[in-house]
Amino acid sequence: MSTRKASLTEKQAKNGTSKYVLERCASINEYYDIAFKVMLLGDSAVGKTCLLVRFKDGAFLGGNFIATVGIDFRNKVVDVDNLKVKLQIWDTAGQERFRSVTHAYYRDAQALLLLYDITSKPSFDNIRAWLTEIHEHAQKDVVIMLLGNKSDMAAERVVKTEDGEKLAKEYGVPFMETSAKTGVNVDLAFHAIGKELKHRATQQPNEPKFQIHDYIESQKHKTGCCGP
Amino acid sequence: MEGEAQKATASWESGTLAPVDRLRSVRADSPIPGLVEGTEPGRSLSHYQWDYITDCALILKTAGAGQKSAMFIHAHSFEDLTAEAEEEALRTVDSGRSEEQHEEGLKALVAEQNIDEQHSNDLSDSRTKEEDVSSEAWRSHKKHVFVLSEAGKPIYTRYGTEEALSSTMGVMMALVSFVEAEKNIIRSIHADGCKVVFLTKSPLVLVGVSRTCQSDKEMLRELQYIYYQIVSLLTLTQLNHIFQHKQNYDLRRLLAGSEYLTDNLLIRLERDPGLLLSAVTCLPLASSSRDVVSSSLQAAKSKNLVFSILLAGDRLVTLVRKKDQFLHHIDLHLVFNLVGSSSSFREGEGWTPICLPKFNTAGFFHAHISYLEPASQLCLILVSTDREDFFNMSDCKQKFMERLSKRSAYQALKEAVKCPSYSVAQVGIPELRHFLYKSKSSGLYTSPEFPMVYQSDEEQERLLSLYQELHSCLHHPTRPLRYYYRCRETENLLAQVTSGFELYLCFSPLVTKASAFAAVNKLLKWIRKEEDRLFILSPLTY
Repeated sequence: MSTRKASLTEKQAKNGTSKYVLERCASINEYYDIAFKVMLLGDSAVGKTCLLVRFKDGAFLGGNFIATVGIDFRNKVVDVDNLKVKLQIWDTAGQERFRSVTHAYYRDAQALLLLYDITSKPSFDNIRAWLTEIHEHAQKDVVIMLLGNKSDMAAERVVKTEDGEKLAKEYGVPFMETSAKTGVNVDLAFHAIGKELKHRATQQPNEPKFQIHDYIESQKHKTGCCGP
Repeated sequence: MEGEAQKATASWESGTLAPVDRLRSVRADSPIPGLVEGTEPGRSLSHYQWDYITDCALILKTAGAGQKSAMFIHAHSFEDLTAEAEEEALRTVDSGRSEEQHEEGLKALVAEQNIDEQHSNDLSDSRTKEEDVSSEAWRSHKKHVFVLSEAGKPIYTRYGTEEALSSTMGVMMALVSFVEAEKNIIRSIHADGCKVVFLTKSPLVLVGVSRTCQSDKEMLRELQYIYYQIVSLLTLTQLNHIFQHKQNYDLRRLLAGSEYLTDNLLIRLERDPGLLLSAVTCLPLASSSRDVVSSSLQAAKSKNLVFSILLAGDRLVTLVRKKDQFLHHIDLHLVFNLVGSSSSFREGEGWTPICLPKFNTAGFFHAHISYLEPASQLCLILVSTDREDFFNMSDCKQKFMERLSKRSAYQALKEAVKCPSYSVAQVGIPELRHFLYKSKSSGLYTSPEFPMVYQSDEEQERLLSLYQELHSCLHHPTRPLRYYYRCRETENLLAQVTSGFELYLCFSPLVTKASAFAAVNKLLKWIRKEEDRLFILSPLTY
């Protein structure tokens, strides 16, 4: 109950600078300063769980596709500018029948990672529908990032990098291509989100705004059409 | 939402998949991948009829229709399930005759069918991973299970792909409808070592095709399980709603990603005696430790929490429920199946809607599923009525963990998980190899680990099918038995049922009948002595 109440009061006290700080006291060996909720969205089988496992454990879930059931909730603490940021990550099932339970938790998320699979045109085509849905259910100031996953599968690519960039530009969201298999840009995606959220939460009035787009551009590993 | 769905499906029905742009506006508030990832386009009736005829041959072949005379159909009336024998016989003859007529037509078409088969062989090359449904390997599977909608659309097949079987399933539906047209219900078709059992559960039709010696009743029970598995994913209300609005809806869209649950349930039906006995088994644990675990779980309550279930693998450690609310064994097995089939709960905390069909087919519960420790076998399932209860349930788990980890019982529990079963040698009956004991009042059963002779999967499945046979004999609908003793080359079996328990024993083939019966008393005595460790004697409520 406590967390839920806490997040509600946070929303009401939007003007406070330390609104996210010490949301729930750290348990035994997991100390952190700020906690944020991040949600992974996208069609079934685009690699949401794989991306999370790569980020969390540095491993790749090869082999058979295991569909996530409902929502899966995991934590990871990352260092952002000497601050311990705990990312509470919701990994969601892409299947239609779980849509209603996913909707119920959209508004708790401060950041959304929206994934498509560069080898699946339908998953890319559905991104607009996902964005419409996000617009309807999520918080107004939610941080969104578009990710084209499976960038290692160059031979099967059907969605061009430029198409992803164009779509992201249209909606004004940052974009990059990732590979849960090789790990390309995976940490960057989560770190950029962590940095952005941390800046939002602790920003002083006279401090310059953190530019997530510039940060990503300066850091990201390009995977052009001609291969890595 | 309904309107939108209809619009969307209308464009899809017309056969030409609508361009994504047009679909997008329709699907604005629910991105539905299935809709754009080609689904089977609508077919004309004549097409279906054609398939019906060619595939009648196919199915009859599968059913081993070489001996046409051996084939008969079990059917019973809509209005009166215990219809007069005379009437029944007449109907059976009737449907039998029409079947023959069909077959006449079929013979002529066998040539055509061969061409069809060749064609599908070519197709299957591009689908190397999937089993070819026209192959001998596909046909020789011991047990097939098919699920289809009342419009004849494939929903699930155990082997091969649904697409490849769309016309076969069309035939199955035709058989169902054909008998239904005479106000009858088709129950089974028996032919040459093969049994086809039908279960119509509107809006679904389930068909089992088996080469085993299972009784119709056993197969029906298994089909029921599959039906409940599907209901638990969607609720019956949603199922009915979907098919009322669109009869030829492709349900696979909603079930996408859940096929493995049905696959695993079918494996469980072959290997888990709990599903046969309508009972679950417990982790052997000293009652003092179990009581501490139960009371810790009882203390971690929340307004909407209905059931707290702690599992060690496939074994129940404890179950705490809301007062006056009971969990049916089928629902519990569905929960076991969900947890056991998914590795995705290992790391984090899972939150998923689940319908417990024996409790209520109309609505979803929401289950919080997490392992006590990542590498542990202990899995906690908290079932809430509220979709937005995730954080409450997460807190409940936290509370339970805090309380439990302070107690020595947690250590005892972890030790118990390391040896989740016991050896039959503990009972002290040398000829006894294995047994199942079900306590009827608690719905719990106990059973030792499989001995050396039954180590392989095949041997275990064989033993279970023997138990299944005994079970069928004891629970025969018209001639139930209290005792059943059977001598075989490889083992001797004894089964007994009383008002309080059911017992199935497996002895070495050298045992005598007298000593087998004497063993029963000895075993019962042993179970009584051990019962507070083997069973949950004091179930708690919140």
